[in-house]
Amino acid sequence: MAGGREVLWTLFRCEIRMLLRDKRTIFIGVILPLFLFPAIILVTRAVEERERVSLESATYYYAVTGTQRDLAGTLVRDALTRRAATADTSQPALHIEESQVAEPDSALRTGGIHLVVEGMAPDEWRTVRDEEERARRERAVTSGRGDDSEAAPAADEADDVEVPVLRLHYRDNSQRSGAAMREVRDALRDLRGEQRERLFRERGFPLDPADVAALEANNLATREEEAGALIGILLAPLIVMMMLTGGSIVAADAIAGEKERGTLETLLTTAARRWEVVWAKQLSVVAVGVVVTLINMLNLLVYVMLGVFELPEDFAVSVTPATLVVLLLLYLPLALLVSSAQLLLSGVSKTYKEYQFNFFPVFLLLLIPAFAAVLPGIELRSAVVLVPVANVAVASREVLTGEFHWLALGAAFFVNVMASAYAARLTVGTLSTERLITAAELDRAELLGGPALFPRRVLTWFGVLWALLLVTSLWFGEHVGIRGQVTFNLGVLFFGGALLMMRRYRLDPRSTLALRAPPAAAWLAVLVGAPSGLVTGVGVARLAQLVFPVPEEVVESFGQYLLPDELPLWQIVFFLCVLPGICEEIAFRGVLLHGLRRRFHPVVLCLVVGAIFGFFHVSLFRLIPTAYVGVLLSAVVVLTGSIFPAMLWHALNNATALVPARLGLWEGEQLPEGVLPLGIAGLAVSFWILWRTRRLYPGLRE
Amino acid sequence: MTRPRLVPRDIAILYVRELRAALRERTMVMNSILLPIVLYPFILWVTITGISFVQGLTQGFVSRVVVTGLPPEHAELRDTLDALESVELRDEPADAVEAVEAVRARELDAVLEFLPADVAGSALSGNFRVRVSFDRSEARSRAARERVEAAIERYRDRWLEWEAGGLGLTPEELEQFRVASRNVASEREMGAMLLGTIIPLFLVVMVALGCFVPAVDATAGERERRTWETTLTLAASRASVVTAKYLHVATLGALAGILNAVAVTVALGPIFRPLMAGGSEAFEFRIPVSAVPIMVLGSALLALFFAAAMMILAAFARTFKEGQSMVTPVYWLAIIPIVLGESPDNRLTAGIALVPVANVAMMIRDAIVGRFAWPLIGLTLLVGLGLVAVCLWSARWVLQFEDLLLGSYDGSFWKFLRDRSPVVGRRSRQALGRPAA
Amino acid sequence: MTGPTISVRALSKSFYDEFRGEVRAVDGIDFACLPGQIFGLLGANGAGKTTTLRMLATILKPTSGEASLLGHDVVADPEAVRRNLGFYSASTALYPRLTARETLEFFARVNRYPGERVTERVDYLVERFGIAEYADARVDKLSSGMKQKVSIARTVAHDPPVLIFDEPTVGLDVLNALEMQDVIRHLRDDGKTILFSTHIMSEAEKLCDHIAIIHRGKILASNTLDGMRRDTGKHYLEDIFVAYVGGRKEIEAAERAALGAQER
Repeated sequence: MAGGREVLWTLFRCEIRMLLRDKRTIFIGVILPLFLFPAIILVTRAVEERERVSLESATYYYAVTGTQRDLAGTLVRDALTRRAATADTSQPALHIEESQVAEPDSALRTGGIHLVVEGMAPDEWRTVRDEEERARRERAVTSGRGDDSEAAPAADEADDVEVPVLRLHYRDNSQRSGAAMREVRDALRDLRGEQRERLFRERGFPLDPADVAALEANNLATREEEAGALIGILLAPLIVMMMLTGGSIVAADAIAGEKERGTLETLLTTAARRWEVVWAKQLSVVAVGVVVTLINMLNLLVYVMLGVFELPEDFAVSVTPATLVVLLLLYLPLALLVSSAQLLLSGVSKTYKEYQFNFFPVFLLLLIPAFAAVLPGIELRSAVVLVPVANVAVASREVLTGEFHWLALGAAFFVNVMASAYAARLTVGTLSTERLITAAELDRAELLGGPALFPRRVLTWFGVLWALLLVTSLWFGEHVGIRGQVTFNLGVLFFGGALLMMRRYRLDPRSTLALRAPPAAAWLAVLVGAPSGLVTGVGVARLAQLVFPVPEEVVESFGQYLLPDELPLWQIVFFLCVLPGICEEIAFRGVLLHGLRRRFHPVVLCLVVGAIFGFFHVSLFRLIPTAYVGVLLSAVVVLTGSIFPAMLWHALNNATALVPARLGLWEGEQLPEGVLPLGIAGLAVSFWILWRTRRLYPGLRE
Repeated sequence: MTRPRLVPRDIAILYVRELRAALRERTMVMNSILLPIVLYPFILWVTITGISFVQGLTQGFVSRVVVTGLPPEHAELRDTLDALESVELRDEPADAVEAVEAVRARELDAVLEFLPADVAGSALSGNFRVRVSFDRSEARSRAARERVEAAIERYRDRWLEWEAGGLGLTPEELEQFRVASRNVASEREMGAMLLGTIIPLFLVVMVALGCFVPAVDATAGERERRTWETTLTLAASRASVVTAKYLHVATLGALAGILNAVAVTVALGPIFRPLMAGGSEAFEFRIPVSAVPIMVLGSALLALFFAAAMMILAAFARTFKEGQSMVTPVYWLAIIPIVLGESPDNRLTAGIALVPVANVAMMIRDAIVGRFAWPLIGLTLLVGLGLVAVCLWSARWVLQFEDLLLGSYDGSFWKFLRDRSPVVGRRSRQALGRPAA
Repeated sequence: MTGPTISVRALSKSFYDEFRGEVRAVDGIDFACLPGQIFGLLGANGAGKTTTLRMLATILKPTSGEASLLGHDVVADPEAVRRNLGFYSASTALYPRLTARETLEFFARVNRYPGERVTERVDYLVERFGIAEYADARVDKLSSGMKQKVSIARTVAHDPPVLIFDEPTVGLDVLNALEMQDVIRHLRDDGKTILFSTHIMSEAEKLCDHIAIIHRGKILASNTLDGMRRDTGKHYLEDIFVAYVGGRKEIEAAERAALGAQER
């Protein structure tokens, strides 16, 4: 009798053999990119080089105008002559000529000349500048951007000195005009510096002014460390990307493709165990992913060594064998994780095409955390060690810059192995999920539509709603203001969407929206619970801030956005408390909860509905607090079997958050001492009441 | 045959049927409508939000700095540093060597060591040298260096001003003149520049992407579903069937391109807002009405080209998957405009007008920034139409082989060319034509 | 061996359907196949044949009841069941990019046929099923008749004592269908126990040693053909079938009710 290892080996060999015979896929997926990507880079670089040369070799024209025309003309000429004389070879001076056009301003606009130098007297300048400043402020106010006083000053020096001003007019939508402006500006500044130094010297100043309080930079990082930091940031995304594209060649076919061809059923009726099938397939995905990644890396290396790609100057990499081993050990579980995620996707998809469409979100989901090392100051010895993929990204930067802790590395390794094993287990599960393996057949739910189909479609619907919400708030949020946006989100998306779903799937409104009488005590629980929930929510938000620090400006600008001063109190109550209480509850605790009620255990159900609710509040830093409130509200509906208490809770929650602030009674996030424990106690009491008088939501999973 | 080969009514009926079927399928709607509207703006938004998030984080760090050896007469400098909100002066470790070690261990961000001035510098009494130790591989440390150096430079300027007063130099003599710059391009011109850079690239990619799935689905996909033969047994002529399919694919491609252009234009303002906040530049994103016809024309041309090229290749495939890998190389053509340079000064020239795909992108960009070089636009259209004609001619040639049409041909694409092409494969055809012994 | 090779007791499979509540695709069936027998499961489309066979092949899990194959329970020891089983159906396809020989080798090994004897076994199968001519051609180049032979050969690649054929002649032309019937008979002569399902009466009449009529998830009768003739007083199996099921209308009604979901 053959052992398990032989079965595994047979499956693996078959998988690889089939791939190797698929010449078309190999050619397009592996071989072509090896030449194509370098070719793209080379062509891009050649084009860039040509553009740089043409930028350097072009002749630029300027015209001189203004009351101080003569002074300005002399200064610019002197400055350019001096620059041409002192320019070094690494950055040759641009060829700039004066032009005698009749209408300099219009010539500048039409691109006939690149720069207009206007010589101005001090008082003239002051008038012009004040006017521009006023215009800028007005524009800032009308466009609603607020007055950003940090804007760059229009000239480069202090105000109280009476000197002429050279104003350089250029067009920022032309690269050449911009280059000419910078060249002339730098030349003028150099000239001024030189003359200033001469003045000092003439008056007997004992040294070069530049030697006063001389600065000396002492960079502690070696070139290797700097290169290491750069590679450390890029390595994880690069490898994840290569693994994903490489592994996909096999993964798509491995389960989804087999389902489509009908060979999966053949395989499942053999004596091979489900986990053997999954492991063999996983092994082939990993093997191919790793091989493709290695080929690509080697390819890159070859091009670097051939001099086709140039590395930045001062680029030095020193990878000791020890670091290499550590890196390999780190990336091994990552490779496993990436491949098991792909295989899971393949297991969930019924056809090859479906896999393709689902691939992109998974791609993003894995790639985004791979950029974690970009975050400044992030360390592996923090919560990030628990996030798969992100921990490897951070760890590889630390390893490459030589600052790491073995314990943290070990933890990262372990987390990824566990995540990978979990994904593999889920994949084994998909091979036993009857709905997924018997792909070819229509089932009754699909044929009839209606309530039977709804649980399977509800998440897609909410996905589309989310996309719509994101898009509209991104694009039109600015134009319609808070009231318009609230009305659209709540009235059209949530309420309208809920109605549409109920119509489309012929759902009974009463049971779908849980329009039932709650136990009387629930009302009391809500009155206690809503403010307590809000208070504890602030605590949760503060905890979240520890993990997910958010720049203060973001919070501030958001506060302004949510609480525009011009909104009268009754409108705040209506638009931000009552309306959300009704519409959001109908959408989330009504339709969504109803659709998902059988899919998850009640506790998980509350968490899932809460999390989705959180995601609908788009911005990252509101996610956790709103998701928290969402979980509480879901729990209220599950315990009372009615949506009404949740509506009241929601409205009260928003009102407690907004109204006192609007009346100036309470400022922002600062909680008075002792309120938090009170909130926790209140919440406990509230849920104790709900639990004691519970009238559970019908039809939950056991 | 008495029936004409192309019957407009048949084509119309088949075309509507294809489109209706496509719009009923989730994947197709996703691909041609939802993705263009949502996905690319979304990716742009994620990227830019991510960048501003990281920037915010870097700026938000308070730099931990240790100062050693500061001469007592310059105590004011310490107060200046202390007054900075972004800098926190620490007393420990007081020893310079230890402090530098702390920077290495990332417990500090920078160390300022005040040292006696060197030979040239010591001519001025009270002068000193500052060594700023930092770690360039750390973003925090780089930011710390910039902050302290800016503070020291300000201090030096004030000191020099004071010294100049002592030497009898007036501020005017010292200053001589000032340089100011002013951008004369309007907000709309700036916006047009940005739109002109982004929209054509997205348009080309989206048209290609929009054609991709329908092209594969209408050929290889139909074969896989085994509806191909049903379609071929319709009363309509084969040419009508193929034309209807072709127009259907091109429609979806053009639709994806235009929808995406609209979506990106509308989304660009809000997307870029976080990056522009605080900057003095302002942008107004609006596509001039005069550019719209050119954009529509350009999308149509691109769609006709991509649809034809992709369908020819996909005709060789028997399954959706095969079709996908066959078509991928055509899809890569969409990156030509990206490769060919991004400088806002580039414009449509006779040379570029001859490069397929890139010429359309450049033509659209010119239209957006308000440049219309009609002879070159004409040349671009001519090149595009010529390309489409070549594709259609090859399609006609390919479809005359019944084994390919029915999907029983199972050689490779190259083999097909070798054996049957009138251009490449003449010799082998002669060989085939020889009677077997 | 004395006991039945396959024994099924009170086996049920229900699907949850929100529209109609619980749907019982297979509703408490009992039967037993004796060694060396051809056992036919006869029923209209959607009667529950495929669901029953898939439960025996451990692709689906029973909702309740028991089924065992050579004493191995399908829930407790699915690997042992599959090791002793060859499963053939219209939906079990072959890997297109493997050759016929590789296919046989693969399935022999995956089904844990003793490694050192695999080559020998494959050679035997190639000869036995007459596929020597194209044994080294890739499966996707074969005609459907050739594929069918390879497919049967792979079903018995590991020499299992029990074979399940789920509507094996669906979609085959007359010659191929007859060939299939021959193969099944030969396999029985080799001592295999064969369970097969069909809705074609003549096929069941010709092949089966024992017939069970399944309708709406229930077994209405289980007997030899002669026994059934005695019980109903009819001669042709068509008439016998109608007699058991209760009229043509009932068959049509059942087919309508079974649309889709039950045919698992």
